[in-house]
Amino acid sequence: MMNNEIEILLVEDNPDDLEMTLRALRKAKLANNIQVARDGAEALDFIFAQGAHLGRKVENGPRVILLDLKLPKIDGLEVLRRVKGDPRTKIIPVVVLTSSQEQPDVAECYKLGVNSYIVKPVNFERFAAAVSELGMYWMLLNQPPKV
Amino acid sequence: MAADQQLKESLKELHDLKAALDEHSIVAITDSQGKITYVNDKFCSISRYSRDELLGQDHRLINSGHHPKEFIRDLWSTIARGKVWHGEIKNKAKDGSFYWVDTTIVPFLDDQGKPRQYVAIRTDITGRKHFEEAQERLVAIINSSDDAIVGKTLDGIITDWNPGAEELFGYTAAEAVGKPMTLIFPPELINEEAGILAGIARGESVKHYETVRVRKDGRRVEVSVTVSPILNHAGKIVGASKVARDITDRKRAQAQILQLNADLEARVVRRTAELEAANKELEAFSYSVSHDLRAPLRAINGFAGIVLEEYGSQLPDEGRRYLERVRNGGQRMGELIDDLLAFARLSRQLLNRQPVNTGRLVQEVLEELNPPGNKRQVETRMGELPACQGDPALLKQVWTNLLSNAIKYTCGRTPAVVEIGCEQNNGQKIFFVRDNGVGFDMQYANKLFGVFQRLHRADQFEGTGVGLAIVQRIVHRHGGRVWATAEPERGATFFFTLEKEHHDEQ
Repeated sequence: MMNNEIEILLVEDNPDDLEMTLRALRKAKLANNIQVARDGAEALDFIFAQGAHLGRKVENGPRVILLDLKLPKIDGLEVLRRVKGDPRTKIIPVVVLTSSQEQPDVAECYKLGVNSYIVKPVNFERFAAAVSELGMYWMLLNQPPKV
Repeated sequence: MAADQQLKESLKELHDLKAALDEHSIVAITDSQGKITYVNDKFCSISRYSRDELLGQDHRLINSGHHPKEFIRDLWSTIARGKVWHGEIKNKAKDGSFYWVDTTIVPFLDDQGKPRQYVAIRTDITGRKHFEEAQERLVAIINSSDDAIVGKTLDGIITDWNPGAEELFGYTAAEAVGKPMTLIFPPELINEEAGILAGIARGESVKHYETVRVRKDGRRVEVSVTVSPILNHAGKIVGASKVARDITDRKRAQAQILQLNADLEARVVRRTAELEAANKELEAFSYSVSHDLRAPLRAINGFAGIVLEEYGSQLPDEGRRYLERVRNGGQRMGELIDDLLAFARLSRQLLNRQPVNTGRLVQEVLEELNPPGNKRQVETRMGELPACQGDPALLKQVWTNLLSNAIKYTCGRTPAVVEIGCEQNNGQKIFFVRDNGVGFDMQYANKLFGVFQRLHRADQFEGTGVGLAIVQRIVHRHGGRVWATAEPERGATFFFTLEKEHHDEQ
């Protein structure tokens, strides 16, 4: 694994959730190569190596995307649609992190090919546990197909 | 001899004449007192009396009672004065039937000029009378009809015009008869008449044709018209009858109904749209509550947790305790929001009714709530649980809430016993969950199923007070009923049904 390879792309606009998620990943020793995007547009720029990330190789990951649905500019659903709609990126596992199941677009997420879907619990310990478990699972157990 | 011969011939002629008369007429002779002195065979056969029964009687014997006294008095005074009377009389035969005779009574006078006898010659006109009566009835019917009944020739010239037509179209019969039918046609429909007349000439009828006609005063009336050919005896079409009915009111009522229906339809569409909008709003509200309210809660809870975790050791005990309370408060609020949302979701969720194996479902719930090897063990006694019809996921929620309550409120009992079963009442399945826990005072039973209603203090038994409200909503959505009986410190029993009660057999 190359050092400059980004392992986790965390797409989150809420600074509180962002900090808690980063902390949970750090505690689970998964925080080495995290790229943060604060809205959908930033996320797409990174994933498709465009804008600020021009020159990066699309093929270089990330290995997992943690995606909030409610995002400024371009929402999470649209990011998911683009990622799963492009043959270069559709193998990247996407885990949707959202505030609740009340969202009408849970079904839509599954239709678009989301790999996991988790509701951020109010309970801090459970949130931390959920984030680290997810990170572990997709980073360690789910080896990407060899190219 | 010649005189004798002449007399003989004269008598013969008289005899022939009488024979011919008897053949054609009903003949009777009465004396000056009115007593019958002679009747011919025809008189007997039409009156159905024998000659013996008639002779010596007067004409009251065959009086029908039809004619007024003045009529009879006029007859008698005429013939008593030696004048011939002519008229039509209705008589009654012996068998009670009536017959009409066209009558001529000729008085014959004596030397003093007083009537000596009366010779009455009559002709049976019963058939004609019956026909006339029938015709009178028809005329009366036509005249009393509310419908306009009109006759016209094949050229469309009005020949008959009943009072109904006078009323409907405003023209009197005198004004209408002789005029063309188009008198009452609106200008734009004048052409209709040619088509109708052509059809009639071919023997076709027009039935309940709805059109418009114009009254004498210029007002338009909506009419339903039936036009039929009139045939003469030989079966030849000689004209047409037209029956027109005023349907203005009916048309107006019809239009009103259509308007009302359209209004109703529009109102339904409007209300549905309003409801849909309200529903959308509610959904947006739920979304907002769940998403936007939970995010700051996560921050309160999360950062309080992080402070405790990272800097707990540097805080004084009291500070740590207060922070703990901040966290617990946040957590509790999170639970309340979740429960409330779950409760709200129940009303929107569609009921997926199917056969449910109750026994297996309860077993599953018990294994989750009271797994073997759990520190606190609850003794469960499960009776026979029949299968039922319902939404499996929702029913699981019902059993989970009832059983977790039973387990919660038996805390501290040794042994803690929870009994699950089903009673049959009037063919209805009544499921129940009985515990030997703390129970409650029945005077608060009405609060049991309200949202956020609790009968126990939070420091005694934790909970949000939504569980039983959820149970009640699910049971109601299945068409059933839920209730409870209890006594403080002596346990509680919760009962529920899943179908509408039927009071008759089975």
